[in-house]
Amino acid sequence: MAIIRVRNLKKSFGDLEVLKDINVDFNRGEVVCIIGASGSGKSTLLRCLNLLEEPTSGNIVFDGNELTSTNTNLDQLRTKIGMVFQSFNLFNNKSVLDNLTLAPIHVLKNSKELAEQKALKLLDRVGLKDFANYTVKTISGGQKQRVSIARSLMMEPSIMLFDEPTSALDPEMVGEVLEVMKSLASQGMTMIVVTHEMEFAKDVSDRVLFMDQGIILEAGSPEEIFTNPKKTRTKEFLSRVLRN
Amino acid sequence: MIFLRYVLSGTVKIVPDGTFQRMVFIVQNYYPMFLEGLKYTLVISLVGTLFGVLIGMILASMKIQKITKRDSFTIRILKRAGIIFSTAYVDIVRGTPMMLQAIILYYAFFVKWFNMSVMLAGIIIISLNTAAYATEVLRGAINAIDKGQMEAARSLGMSYKQAMLNVILPQAFKNSVPAIGNELVINIKDSSVLSVIGVIELMYQSKAAASQYFLHVESALVAGVVYLILTMSATRLLEYFDKRLNSPSGSALKISIPTSQSFQSRKRGNAKWRL
Repeated sequence: MAIIRVRNLKKSFGDLEVLKDINVDFNRGEVVCIIGASGSGKSTLLRCLNLLEEPTSGNIVFDGNELTSTNTNLDQLRTKIGMVFQSFNLFNNKSVLDNLTLAPIHVLKNSKELAEQKALKLLDRVGLKDFANYTVKTISGGQKQRVSIARSLMMEPSIMLFDEPTSALDPEMVGEVLEVMKSLASQGMTMIVVTHEMEFAKDVSDRVLFMDQGIILEAGSPEEIFTNPKKTRTKEFLSRVLRN
Repeated sequence: MIFLRYVLSGTVKIVPDGTFQRMVFIVQNYYPMFLEGLKYTLVISLVGTLFGVLIGMILASMKIQKITKRDSFTIRILKRAGIIFSTAYVDIVRGTPMMLQAIILYYAFFVKWFNMSVMLAGIIIISLNTAAYATEVLRGAINAIDKGQMEAARSLGMSYKQAMLNVILPQAFKNSVPAIGNELVINIKDSSVLSVIGVIELMYQSKAAASQYFLHVESALVAGVVYLILTMSATRLLEYFDKRLNSPSGSALKISIPTSQSFQSRKRGNAKWRL
């Protein structure tokens, strides 16, 4: 059953049409990787899914709620859609622990004690229990991204969006973040991942979408896309990326 | 000295020669007036800056509003009104001299309608004037915060207001401390224009002190020294405050990452004892 249904989604920035008529379903429990060249619209598509970008036209239905309708309570629905950003976007004025507890306290109205218990449990899960009291400036990129994953999980989302989560990391830190994502996937989390990590897409995803110039050009299982791509653009892209 | 003391005890005093001696003469004869003026200048500029920044926060949050697709008709009208009001306020207040604002506000409104004391009038005028500058300082500081901070907060389900209050404003305010301190220093000096409506602040008092013996230069020099002491201590205090804000907070101090300094001292220590 589809948890997110996208129909006729279009998005333009001024004269530039970034998304041209996107139609796609994302199913519960599925891990979908979106690949494609820079500027193909993959990040914009992801950012439309929680309305960080307001679509120019089209519908997005999340769990039976029409996100694009002006009557929906976006704030409430967004708690169910976790998002992890390329540049982490941890709250710079807060400690690691406070980054995790801020939204549960203010949005879910959790008590401070409950939120902190939950936060310490999640920090333990991403291997950062000892870093609870650090300021975010003092931890490494890989640690920051793991904190930001834990921060999203605090809201107990039913789906997680990842916007190039490892692209801003030093190479030796990519692995620790991918490990956390793999363990999430194995626990059945529904995940949509925009990524340049082809190995991850191959190993972890149930389905791969290849985007090119604002449309989903090809979609299929990782085997289909990586070993037997049908479109020439997909072949070109993969041969360029996999050579490196 | 005996001569001077004799002179001072009379009703009409003989003015000594020399600029410095005359400054001392002014201080000895009129120090209560300078102290009174100092009190007014300090209270008006401190309280005025404080309220100015508070009003500036309100105006800045009106000015940075963006009208979106999801706003209802009423919200759109309110937002538009807020943007127009705050923009006009900043333009008018920044575009006219404070002396003019003081005269108009005081004689046209404060005295006529409220029979207000000059002290309160002075504080209100400084607050309203500072608010315009603070609005721009804070607006700039808010815009300078990385867009990702707001996006992260919104993606967690926080409302615009919650994100502003908990994430954006604390960071923006911290970054604007130097500029707000600058406003305080400016207010210490510019409160002198309030002498036109009869606020007995430092400049007013120094003019009064000068008049009896026509010691205009000397009296102004004394006032100048007082102004310098005020502004320089304010600057130093703010620098200290700013440094404190930007140093790692208490919780971060628990981290013991060996610094280059601690390495050096350890190395030096080893070398010393091995010798």
